[in-house]
Amino acid sequence: MTAADVPVHRPGPRAWLLLIAAEAKMVARDTSGLIVPLGLPLLILVMNGFSYAGETTADGIDVFELYVMPIALTIVIASVGVINMPSFLVYYRRTKVLRRLGATPAHPAMILVAQMVVAAVQSIAGIAVGVAAAMLFFGVGLPTDLGLALAVLGLAALTMFAVGMIVAAVAPTPSSGVAFGLVGFLLLGATGGMFGPTENLPGPVAAVGEVLPFGAAVQAVGNAWVGLEQNPAHLLAMVAAIAVSVAIAVRFFRWE
Amino acid sequence: MPAIEARGLHKRYGDVTAVDDVSLTVEAGEIYGVLGRNGAGKTTAVETIAGLRRPDRGTAAVLGLDPRRDRARLRQVLGVQLQHANLPNALTVGELVRLYRSFYRDGADPGELIERVGLAEQRKVRFEKLSGGQQQRLSIALALVGGPRAAILDELTTGLDPQARRGMWSTVEDLRDSGVTVVLVSHHMDEVERLCDRVAVIDAGRVAAVGSPADLVARAGLEQVVRFRTAEPFEARVLDGVEEAREVRVSGDEVAVTGSGNLLQAVSTALVRAGVTVLETRFQQATLEDAFLALTGRPFDGEEESR
Repeated sequence: MTAADVPVHRPGPRAWLLLIAAEAKMVARDTSGLIVPLGLPLLILVMNGFSYAGETTADGIDVFELYVMPIALTIVIASVGVINMPSFLVYYRRTKVLRRLGATPAHPAMILVAQMVVAAVQSIAGIAVGVAAAMLFFGVGLPTDLGLALAVLGLAALTMFAVGMIVAAVAPTPSSGVAFGLVGFLLLGATGGMFGPTENLPGPVAAVGEVLPFGAAVQAVGNAWVGLEQNPAHLLAMVAAIAVSVAIAVRFFRWE
Repeated sequence: MPAIEARGLHKRYGDVTAVDDVSLTVEAGEIYGVLGRNGAGKTTAVETIAGLRRPDRGTAAVLGLDPRRDRARLRQVLGVQLQHANLPNALTVGELVRLYRSFYRDGADPGELIERVGLAEQRKVRFEKLSGGQQQRLSIALALVGGPRAAILDELTTGLDPQARRGMWSTVEDLRDSGVTVVLVSHHMDEVERLCDRVAVIDAGRVAAVGSPADLVARAGLEQVVRFRTAEPFEARVLDGVEEAREVRVSGDEVAVTGSGNLLQAVSTALVRAGVTVLETRFQQATLEDAFLALTGRPFDGEEESR
């Protein structure tokens, strides 16, 4: 009895679609996980909206567009990438979902890709909600250079997802995954302006925060939004964060 | 050509030798039991055969395929049910079966399969809301969804209630009837004795014995006991001519005859011939559990630490 004549078959487009749909359902059914990426940015927008709406810097740049918008949008991609996505992957490894998948013709890496697709969709949804609310209630306009702003946001999202892969690689249990993710999110956020202007931070902390993923993303998105020139340091910082994170994740990631 | 063949498998974890020179030959269409205590190395051995672990030494072939080199082909034709493997909690029975079906080129119709394992009413129930038995049945369904030619089922009925266990057993028998080769890993004696055509007894990482359950009992050289009471005082010499009887013990009106072979029939015939009136006959035969004890030299408690 031999099966040497069995054709090699890799899961096709239908399998990919079903897997992405399955991951989307997992994320959507985890209602509490949606609060931070969808709710927190709105809260930030509303809170800051009352204090900063209509204010401008000395150069006449809208404070809300330069600081508040990028912080709200960066919170969306950072919470999805650094907290939510890794928590699913750690849970899948811990409960041997990945191992079970490895016993089928599907490769467990498919679930990683599917999670990233869903994380991207989740980020886009969160960004859309935030931007729509800002335009409706606080008169925020579209970015001066829409294409550039989208490209910068995309780079920032990739950076956050890459950082999230470190969490997915090193966290041994689902709860430690959430803890690592949350601590990472808060550290990056705190040094990057999530809790107030970085001018209020000690100089060295602010300088480091500005090249860490959250700070770099906020600065780059803010500049793109109001049409200021991009500081290459912010973009390079994000590219470097992606390279370092992927290297660490690949080194330490375990399927089981 | 056998369906599954393993030669000299070795696997060490640190100082612990989990699998020590294990060789197995599973013929096409049989239910082959892998029996042993928890932690004996059963799971490591079959997961190595399934290509989920890399052996330190030794080779395996499943349906003529190398589990690692021909991984893509093998995954199409080998169904695997893993011990303690969970599924995504928030997905429903129907969603999971359809998802897993999409990984295979050929396979079962999801709806029919769900019905076959008795989960039709749970189709829309999430994995986390299923009972232990229902989760186990879903796990079987996913092992079979690709229409495998061989299936490895690890601790199929552990944690199930008696009725659910019997349901599982008939599912496995149906599999054999449809021509699927089944490797059943178990530490339940009754399950192995009932289902398996042949059994490999694994002890401390090694194959202690291979044979049909009846073979193993016979090979262990275990004796049978016929006990009866008689209306009149019993004369032991009535059984003198019975070759199968090795020892006859009389205590009061109870007689215990120990021996082997077709002991019960031989004793009954001799008693009838001598005109002895027998009250209450009891026959004790060695079970697979007794044989296991004899073959491995240690009692079977089934509760040793699993690794």
